[in-house]
Amino acid sequence: MTGAFSSINWMLAPVLVPLAAATATFLLMGLRGRTRRMAQNAIGLAAAVGIAVSALALWAMVSGGGPVRYELGGWEAPLGINLYADGLSVFMLLTTAVVGAAGSVYTLGYFSGREGEDVRRREYFQDETGSFWPLWMFLWASMNGMFLAADAFNLYVTLEILGLSAAALIALGGTRMAFSAGMRYLMVSLLGSLAHLLGVALLYGSFGALDLATLGESASPIPPVWAALALISLGMALKTGLFPLHFWMPSAYTGAPSAASAMLAGLVGKASFYLLLRVWFDVFEGSVPPGAGQIFGVLGAVAIVWGAVMAMKQTRLKTLLAYSSVSQMGYLFLVFALVAGASPERGFEAWAGGIYLVLSHACAKAAMFMAAGVVIYSVGHDEIPRLHGIAQKLPLAVASFAVAGMTMMGLPTSGGFTAKWLLFSASLGTGQWWFGVVILLGGVLAAVYLLRFLNPALIQVRTAKVYRDAPRSMTVAAFGLSLFSLFLGLASAPMLDLLAVGGPFGGGS
Amino acid sequence: MSFAGLALDGLLALSLPILAWRTLAARDLYRAAILFITFGVILALAWARLGAPDIALAEAAIGAGITGALLLNTVGGLSRRNGGDDDERPDEPTDRVGRPWTTRLAVAIPVTILAVGLGWAVLSLPAPTVDMPSLVGEAIAEGEVSHPITAVLLDYRSYDTFLEIGVLLLAALCVWSLGLSAVRGEAPEAVAKSPVLAGFVRLLAPAMVVSGVYLLWAGTSQPGGAFQAGAVLGALGVVMVLTGLLAPSLGRGSIIRAGLALGFSVFLLVGVAAMLATGGFLEYPAGFEYGLILAIEFFLTFSIALTLTALFTTVPPREKKEGA
Repeated sequence: MTGAFSSINWMLAPVLVPLAAATATFLLMGLRGRTRRMAQNAIGLAAAVGIAVSALALWAMVSGGGPVRYELGGWEAPLGINLYADGLSVFMLLTTAVVGAAGSVYTLGYFSGREGEDVRRREYFQDETGSFWPLWMFLWASMNGMFLAADAFNLYVTLEILGLSAAALIALGGTRMAFSAGMRYLMVSLLGSLAHLLGVALLYGSFGALDLATLGESASPIPPVWAALALISLGMALKTGLFPLHFWMPSAYTGAPSAASAMLAGLVGKASFYLLLRVWFDVFEGSVPPGAGQIFGVLGAVAIVWGAVMAMKQTRLKTLLAYSSVSQMGYLFLVFALVAGASPERGFEAWAGGIYLVLSHACAKAAMFMAAGVVIYSVGHDEIPRLHGIAQKLPLAVASFAVAGMTMMGLPTSGGFTAKWLLFSASLGTGQWWFGVVILLGGVLAAVYLLRFLNPALIQVRTAKVYRDAPRSMTVAAFGLSLFSLFLGLASAPMLDLLAVGGPFGGGS
Repeated sequence: MSFAGLALDGLLALSLPILAWRTLAARDLYRAAILFITFGVILALAWARLGAPDIALAEAAIGAGITGALLLNTVGGLSRRNGGDDDERPDEPTDRVGRPWTTRLAVAIPVTILAVGLGWAVLSLPAPTVDMPSLVGEAIAEGEVSHPITAVLLDYRSYDTFLEIGVLLLAALCVWSLGLSAVRGEAPEAVAKSPVLAGFVRLLAPAMVVSGVYLLWAGTSQPGGAFQAGAVLGALGVVMVLTGLLAPSLGRGSIIRAGLALGFSVFLLVGVAAMLATGGFLEYPAGFEYGLILAIEFFLTFSIALTLTALFTTVPPREKKEGA
């Protein structure tokens, strides 16, 4: 390495910037009221800008010169720890940067409630201890750290930060439901990361190294590798919320403050899915037992239908969205069945389709939870039967919900359309048409459960009582993100080019 | 191997699974916590027998000591919340949920599959392709730190340790985020008024400080280091809080927060300063390696000790009123 300001050091910024911001906002927790909020907001927003800039710099670097590697402490792998960024890493960093930035703007208004305010609501809109920003910054750092990690144990450390900060963010809701949901998530998350750690121990025992590239070179289809793969896959399926391991999702996403629900449902589950993609297709692509992908595929297909059916039965908006996530996570797991035995082009199609869904679902679902937060802020609850005609009072929130919903349904120009089209095409191309049927069915079911809210909300007659207006930062962040998800389908070419950099399947076509 | 050594190893290998089982099967939480501590002590002995004194020290201090204290504290907090009376313990927290055979079976089957699968995997482990110990050995021969564990933790894999210190700071933050900065009130009267205990702690404190500093100092050339030293000093903090020598609040909030964040901040600053000097994050400039590692370890010890004590001096969460 040549100097402190050489471009390679951009790789550290997505991790170090939020960590520094986490420390700074932690130290400011002692300030009171408005002063604390202003100071923490300023630091948090500056960090969001810093992360976005460094993600863009990495995008330019990787698409110009291919994947980059960083030797931390100047030590070569396998002795030292490396960071590694290819198209997939940068894609995930950009996803987090966009959704995280919108989420950061949203929280400016969300936590503007005053202490001692009327609390007969579903959520409190207060951050009495000032811990939202430091927790959120730790969470963001852990996700970015995971996308850049090139070391199996380093992945475990990022998983630990991820799980702890996410659990605390859920419990920040302050209600009995939020506490127990946070506790349950903590248990689930610990179980998931311990399963990963056990797998890593087996890999280290087998090959004497933790560096992913070294592991990939040494790996062969032997029992310890299978056991490690099974453990890591199980742990990450649990953290991603694959049916039937989704049991923690409805309470976690409903109990958390909406500002946190948006980041959890939008981003956190995707991080563990990213780890699965890495392990299956980059590190151990030659050692995965045949047929293993079908297990994930079938569970994913069941999740798509089951989540959608459960979503239809919900009477609370946030719980409906949580079950919608169960359904949408199912799509992601179809990738594992579609890639197995496919030609490189079909394989790339399925793989890229899954990753594109990660981005579009992250934007759309975060926007929808933000919109639900606006509804709760203004009306005091999110009971769908009591939200008749709410569109007249909260037009922007309902519009955000509807626009983001187009990605759930997979309608054209939305990111969800591109993603589901790629998956659909891969399912026909590999002769697994039944998965194609489930993909289409899931879109129809999504339309049904979304209309269960939109239909009464758009009625012109009875009007739900609104007793305060949501701050503009909340509505603008929700609407902006939903628009972004709607037009993602139009920007797919540069994003797919990015994914091809250093990706498996020889970059497709 | 001597017969006595073999007998000791056999005893350890036998008692670990039994203790683990008894801990899990215990219906009384207090009993489970005590069994867990015993398990930690036996596990520390096992690590020592395996020739891993660093892990043995960490397991004894953190796994058995601090974790045990946290568990007992929680059990105590739960029974106080349930209105339990200390003399009769009528509401002692127990796990009285029925365990029908279907539940047992639902747990037993996956656990058996896991055990068989793991056993099969471990028995078919290949010879490692990378000889990590000799890689570490070669690097140490050229470096300034002579103890391999310290070299791995603070040099070759310093990034992981940096993030782990972040986890520790995050743990304290998580507890505070639940609105717990209010601490566990007065020390129990019986303890606070016992002159014997207070006198004993006064004698114990200097010895613990000395051993903590020694562990820190020794870490560069032999077993020891920031984590072990921090655990010993953290345990001292817990004992002092329990006997009333130290206020449960530990001091002013802003100062405590600064102390908690100190280790992580110093690590981050050293990493960035190294980047300015050499061009690489945490890439220590030649000649400064030993000094910088010792400096980082010094601040880490302080923050680790403070974090462990602070985690102990909290009470279970108070719930807000549920909304409509």
